[in-house]
Parts: sequence; structure tokens; C-alpha cells
Amino acid sequence: MSTTTTATTTKLWGGGKSPFDVEYGKLMMWYFLMSDALTFGAFLISYGTIRFSTNGWPDPNKVFKSYPFASEGVNAPLVFVSIMTFILIISSVTMVLAVQAGKEMKKKAVAINLILTIIGGIAFLSCQAWEWNHLHSEGAWWGLNPFLNADGSASSTNFTNYFFTITGFHGFHVLSGVVINIVMLIMTLTDQFEKRGHYLMIEKAGLYWHFVDLVWVFVFTCFYLI
Amino acid sequence: MSNEAVLHAHSGAHDGHEDHSHEHHHQSFISKYVFSQDHKMIAKQFLITGMVWAVLGGFMSVLFRLQLGYPDSSFPWLETILGKWAKGGHITPEAYYALVTTHGTVLVFFVLTAGLSGTFANFLIPLQIGARDMASPFMNMLSYWFFFAASIVMLSSIFVETGPFSGGWTAYPPLSALGDASPGSKSGMDLWIVSMALFVVSSLLGGLNYIATVLNMRTKGMSMTRLPLTIWALFFTAVLGVLSFPVLLSGFILLIFDRNFGTSFYLSDIFINGVGALPNEGGSAILFQHLFWFLGHPEVYIILLPAMGMVSEILSVNSRKPIFGYMAMIGSLFAIAILAFLVWAHHMFVTGLNPLLGSVFVLLTLLIAVPSAIKVFNWLTTLWRGNIRFTPGMLFAIGFVSLFISGGLTGIWLGNSALDIHLHDTYFVVAHFHIVMGVASMFGMFAGIYHWFPKMYGRFLNNTLAYVHFWVTIAGAYMIFWPMHYEGLAGMPRRYYDYSIWESFKQFQDLNQFISLVAMIVFAVQFLFLFNFFYSIFRGRKVTTQNPWDANTLEWTTPINPGHGNWPGEIPEVHRWPYDYGKDGVDFIPQTTPVGADESVEH
Amino acid sequence: MSHTATHEDHSAEVKKEVTKVTIILSVLTVIELALGFYMMGIESAGTRLLIKGTIVILMLAKAFYIVAYFMHLKHEVKNLIMTVCVPLCIFFWFITAFLIDGNSFRNLRNTYDPHFKEQSTIKVEAKEVKHEEKEAKEEKKEGLKLDEPRRSD
Repeated sequence: MSTTTTATTTKLWGGGKSPFDVEYGKLMMWYFLMSDALTFGAFLISYGTIRFSTNGWPDPNKVFKSYPFASEGVNAPLVFVSIMTFILIISSVTMVLAVQAGKEMKKKAVAINLILTIIGGIAFLSCQAWEWNHLHSEGAWWGLNPFLNADGSASSTNFTNYFFTITGFHGFHVLSGVVINIVMLIMTLTDQFEKRGHYLMIEKAGLYWHFVDLVWVFVFTCFYLI
Repeated sequence: MSNEAVLHAHSGAHDGHEDHSHEHHHQSFISKYVFSQDHKMIAKQFLITGMVWAVLGGFMSVLFRLQLGYPDSSFPWLETILGKWAKGGHITPEAYYALVTTHGTVLVFFVLTAGLSGTFANFLIPLQIGARDMASPFMNMLSYWFFFAASIVMLSSIFVETGPFSGGWTAYPPLSALGDASPGSKSGMDLWIVSMALFVVSSLLGGLNYIATVLNMRTKGMSMTRLPLTIWALFFTAVLGVLSFPVLLSGFILLIFDRNFGTSFYLSDIFINGVGALPNEGGSAILFQHLFWFLGHPEVYIILLPAMGMVSEILSVNSRKPIFGYMAMIGSLFAIAILAFLVWAHHMFVTGLNPLLGSVFVLLTLLIAVPSAIKVFNWLTTLWRGNIRFTPGMLFAIGFVSLFISGGLTGIWLGNSALDIHLHDTYFVVAHFHIVMGVASMFGMFAGIYHWFPKMYGRFLNNTLAYVHFWVTIAGAYMIFWPMHYEGLAGMPRRYYDYSIWESFKQFQDLNQFISLVAMIVFAVQFLFLFNFFYSIFRGRKVTTQNPWDANTLEWTTPINPGHGNWPGEIPEVHRWPYDYGKDGVDFIPQTTPVGADESVEH
Repeated sequence: MSHTATHEDHSAEVKKEVTKVTIILSVLTVIELALGFYMMGIESAGTRLLIKGTIVILMLAKAFYIVAYFMHLKHEVKNLIMTVCVPLCIFFWFITAFLIDGNSFRNLRNTYDPHFKEQSTIKVEAKEVKHEEKEAKEEKKEGLKLDEPRRSD
């Protein structure tokens, strides 16, 4: 540590500046997301643990096989959920564009992309609402599982318990993301960021939104694919 | 981004004046003492709330120790204060379990997590790294008020008709998941979960702030390897909290669904007396234990690390010697923080845990002995041939080292899954964790309070009272918990209501009475400390110099009563590590002193 | 903050990167879905496991692209990348230990709990839970649902 004082000031970790070259808000957002990753991780790992400790499990393809306006008894597994997945990916893309536009101080582009993101989020939530409603109409709910295991034996209720809890928790995150984005939109339109001279807040909202997308990647795989 | 920018909203508070009455003009009582955003005031709020809980939690232990020590006697005054929970002067079994549970929850979470790291992380981080305040003072304030809300909810659970939760602080299902399982599992448990959820939010807000502040807001020259060990310890504590509390939150959310929405995450094949077989199928109660201990084990280090950090600092200052092995201390803190996440299932050896998996957990658990031993030896070698000043803070720091050794060694016993079959859930475990985590961290907290009280309030605590407090507490701590090891080895299980009716444990009646007696004396002596604390805030001997302990760290370069913003002028620049004691024949060289031309090499 | 000084070509670069990542994510998702469809017709447990493993790897690849490019982590200072990625390594042990113990719990129950074993071998008739019936049940949701038949049957 025998550095002279002049050398210290230029050092990354030498104090007096952020070693990561980011403001504290973004740093906090990252650490919050890590913490939230542990929350979701704990949920999904619990789900895995219960699945591993059970002999049979329902086949997702026989459960999630319908889509809106489909005729009764349609058999189209993975179709609807892939639409949901793409909606979320696209909304993530528009969010990236909004953040990028913010960096370039283009207010109009920010607003347009934010609106598109919000629409994507609402579309996703609507899809989820439809799916929940559909499953509910089939008799599935917390504590109610009408589906059988893949091998035809009786299934415990934990299939639906975990499905509703985890997608519900994810949906709650999407909802809060949409609310955050609406706030960002209002702040953009009222020129609050212009006055501040930077759109850093949108970057943080963007991080949150991408995280929601990231979680969906895991939820989608764990519940629908494997 | 910069330290200055943080306080741009409060620029009036540090415009170069040392005159503090000046601040009162634009700070109302509410914004100064209640919804304060000053980290020092928030620290004091955490401390005093923690002290209130410590008294309540301690009093609960006195009540259940009365039952354990004198199971055949009746105390009419108990009925006066507890009503139906102590019919005829006897604590009822329900009340006994409620007391044990609330004692555990309150002491672990509210006193030793919020009261300890909440207080000292808030107080010391900005002062010792040279920042005007936390990264986000507002979130910091929220952190305290979430904790306060959690406190209120927990307090209210004591007064509900069916009593507070009574299934143990670990809240294992099915007792925690089924309302019909016990009286305490009804609304008491609902309030318990709500309170804990609020607490998780509080610790998350606090933890994010501590991490961001330590990383981003160090003053010029304060590189990571020039941080006092206190800061390193508080930093790792915050990391542990941020990464482990969310898992507990997930576990609690699943528990809430089990309680209220008919799910069976944790429930399977359950039969309740008087109710019958339950329909729940397919869940696993062990899953909750995994989720709980995934937090629960890091939690014990969340409790212990701040104490370790403060003790390191206090030992060095009062030995007038540099801390021995500064980098090794950081390394061992880091190792402990990592291992803390890898060993949770050693609490679950007898749950039917896969034995092979168990043996991996044994290995990882025993590895913790290495960094712990490094720390112990470094503390001892710091004391070695030091010019020791036995201030009250120093005494408590030495007491901490003693307790940490005594309690840590029994941890090596318990970490072995084979021995754990015999020792699990006996008084041996109670003795182990009370010494190493409970009392040791309390000692760290006392050490911190005695050492930094002059900085907090600009006055000293009374030394005579402090010495009495120390000697009675340390002697009492050993007299309470040492005998418990023998009881545990003899197989005496914890959490029993009355041992006198068991042929195997009758022989310990006198010993239990002795333990209870000492526990009450130790509890009474804590009031000396409380009196000392509150009396000295107003009437204590005034601090007349900026640096009463001749310490190197930055907090002693602030005015005696620092205002919001800490330093009246520029934040000082740091030129050296904080442990230059007795270097080149100079007693101490503060961190702000530039390195001299003919000075020997830095550490 | 260092990004405020953006140039037009930088902006175009970013757009190109976003397009690229979007295409990659879409392709990965399509492959995942294709594998999912392919798996439906397969009975062999080993092959299914193999496909599931592949899907998990693709999932991690998607996660990487989202974090690295959308969340911009790849363009941050290396130290920030490390502080985010290194702590997440606890997931390895978190997942491993939980799943091993879950599996072990199943083996224990299959060995020592005849009822559990029997339950999972008896085939049952698929039954439509009627909506009215279920709502009637919900009305009874007072404390523990004792008079209900086992809901999973």
C-alpha cells in the first residue's frame, strides 16, 4: 500500500469515487436484483425439491394446451406460452431502446419505447390472467389439482400450488414493473429528466424490467418445458 | 455520485459552521429526532429500540427460567402481570412456549440483528469511511421505520387472545402452518409472519445501503485495504443479509399460503388430535427447514460479524498496537461469509438428511474453524505485549474473545453429524449458541457502545458502573451457560416445560435453580448499564477532546458533536491504514496524517 | 455517466447489438420449443433427461444474453461484473444440496412408507372437478378443510 497520494487518486479503488463508475442508485438496483434473484431462486428450488421428492408429476403438455378463443378440447401445448414468452422478450427489447434513447437524451424516442414496453407488459399480464382463468375453470387453484400425474396416478396439489404461487409472484413483479414504467413515462412527458439533464432513472427501471424477463426465462423452462 | 451530491438536499446543514444551534432553525423536532435522515440519529433509534427489545426479551427469559428453576413453586405476582397465562402463579405450558419463542425471535432478529448491525453499520460506516451520510439517507430512514413497524406488530402479537407464536423461533411447520396445531399457531403466528416480513424489508433496505455506501462513497485515499476492520465486518454482514433474507422471505410466503390458502408445501400426512387427519399431501416439512436455515445460518454470522469487527478495532486501539494480521483478518471474514452460505444443513442432521450430503455439510462446517481460529489468534497476538488500557470497551472486547473461544470450541463438537445425534436439541446446543452467538455478540455490542458512546452523545459513560456491569455479566454468562453443557451431555433436551417430572433429569433440579438465580442477577445488573446509558446521555462527563481514545480512525476527526454531514468543512483525505499505533515510536498516527518522508514502510 | 457523451455511430452500434441479441434470443426460444415438442413423443427416460438437460443449457444461454446485453452488464467495469456474478455462485450448492435431499427424501419414503409408495402406483380415473362443487367447497373454507374429500383425487 505504499503509494503516494497522487497515485492513490487515480486508482480505481482508492476512494473518492465509485470503483465501478456507476452512481449508487444503479449499484443498489443491481444488488436488489441479486437479492430478488435469491427470492425467485428459493421458490424455483423449492419447486424442484418437491418435484424430486415426489414419485410422479403431471405432464405440462397435457395441462397447458389451450389458448384464447380455441374450441373446447383443443390440444395445442406450448403454443400460448410461447406467445407470452415472445411478448416479454419484445417488451424487453423496447425497454433497451428506451434506455438507449435516454442516454442520447431523445425524449420522444424514450416516450414511444416506454409506451411500447408498457403495452407489452400489459399484454403479458392479460395473457397470464387468461391462463389463470382458464386453469381455474378447469378446477385448478391453490389447493386444488384436477390433473393427474403423467403416469396416470393421483397427483398432489403441489403442482398447482407452485404454479400459481410462482407465476403469481412473477406476475406481481411484471405488474410492479408496468407501474414503474408508467411512472417513468409520466416523468419523461413532464420533462423531469430533461430538467435533471439525465435519464439515469430509466436505466434502473430498465434493469428491473429485464430482470422480470430473465425470471420468466427460468419460470417458463421450469414449468412448461421440463 | 460524489459524497457531496448525496447531501445536496441538506446543503444547509454543513455550510462550514460548527455552531449547531444554527441547524435548529431549519430542523423541526420531527425531522431531527423522529423521521431523521441523519445516519447518526437513525443509529441511535436502532440502538434504543434494540435496547427496549433486549429488556423485554431478557425479561421473558427470566420468566421462563423461573419455571425451569422453581417448577414446584408458585409466584402470585406472575398472575398479576400475566393473567391467565400464569394461573395460580404458575406459568402455563402455552405461555412457557410462547415466552421461549418470542425470546428467541426478539433477541436474534430485533436485538442482535437490527440492534447491533443496524446501530453500528449506520453509525460507523459513514463516519469511518469518510462520507457525509449513507448513499440513500431516505432508504435508511425507511429501513428504521420498517423495523419499527415490525416491532409494533411483534409487540401486538403478545397481546392477542390466543397468545404469541409458540412453536420456537425457527417456526417449523406444522406448528407454524396449522392454526389448529396449538393456541400460539393462530393469530399470534399471523402477526409473527407479518412482523418478520417487515423485518426482512427493513434489513434489505439497510443492507443495500450499507453495501452501496462502503463501495461507492469512501473518501479520497480510503482504499478498501485502508478500511477499519469494523467496516469490513459490517460490509460482509450486509452482503450476507442481502443474499440470505430473501430466501427466508420465500419460505415465509409459502408458509402463508399453507396457513391461509389450503396449499400443502410443507404439509403431508398430518393427524391432529381432536381434529383428525388432514387432507394435505405431498409437501415436505423438511423443505421449510432447508429454506429457514439457508437464512438461519448466515444469520448467526450476521449477528457475529459486526461484533468481530468492532472488537478488532477496539482491541487494537486499546492495546496501542496495530491489529495483528490485517489482511488475514479480512480474508477470514471473507471466508466466514462464504462458508456461512454453505453449511446450513448442519442444523438438520437428524431430520433424515441424506447421510452422504450430511458428511459434506460436516466437512464444510468444520472448515469454519479455520478462519475462526485465525481471528482468535490474531486477537490474542494483538493483545500480546500490548500497552493495554482496560477501558470498559476493552474489557468487553476481551470478554468477547473469551466467549467466542469457549462457544466456538463446542461448535466443533456439534458440527460432527455423528456427535450431533446425541447432542441435537439438548442443552449442549443451547449453551453453545448462547455463548458463541448470543452473549458474545452482546459483548461486542456493549464494547461498541462503551467505545463509541463519546462519539454518539459527546459524553462518557460512568466507568465504575461499567466495571461492575462487565464483571457480573461475564461471570454470570459463564455460570449460566457452562453448567448447561453438562446437562446437555447427559441428554437433557431443550424446550421441555418441567424437568422435575423426568426420572433422568431430576438430578439437575439444583443446577437449574442455580442457573435461574444467576440469570436473574445478570438481568438485574443490565439495569445498571441502562441507567448508566440514559443518565450519561444527559449528565455524563463531557468529552473535551476530539479524540478521547487516541484512535486513528476518521470518526475522531469530526467535531465532538458532529452535525448532519459529519465534517464541517472538507471531508479529510486518508493517507494510511487505520492501525498505525506505536509506529516509529509514535503512539498513534491518525489516518489523515500524510506519510512522512523518513517514515518506515507502511504495513 | 460515462455514456452521456454518445455519438451517432455508437447509437447505431447499440441498435445493431440489440437486433443481434433479439435474434439470438428468439432462435434459442424456438429451439427450446422445438425440443419441447420433440420430447412429447419420447418415452425413454434417459433421452428425456438428455433433452431436459439441453433445454436447461439453452435457458442459461438466454439468461446470459439478457444479463450481458439487455442489462448491459457486459459493458460495465469488470469489478462490477465480478461483484454481481461471484455471489451468485452460491446457487450451485443451493440447488445441488436441495435437490439431492429432495431426492433422498423420496427414496426414504418409498422404502419406509408403504402408503406413499402405493399412492404413486395406483392409476386413477381423470375426474373433472365441477366448478359449482369447488365453489361450494370454498365456502366451507373455515380453518382446516376437513370434510373435503382429498382434493387431488
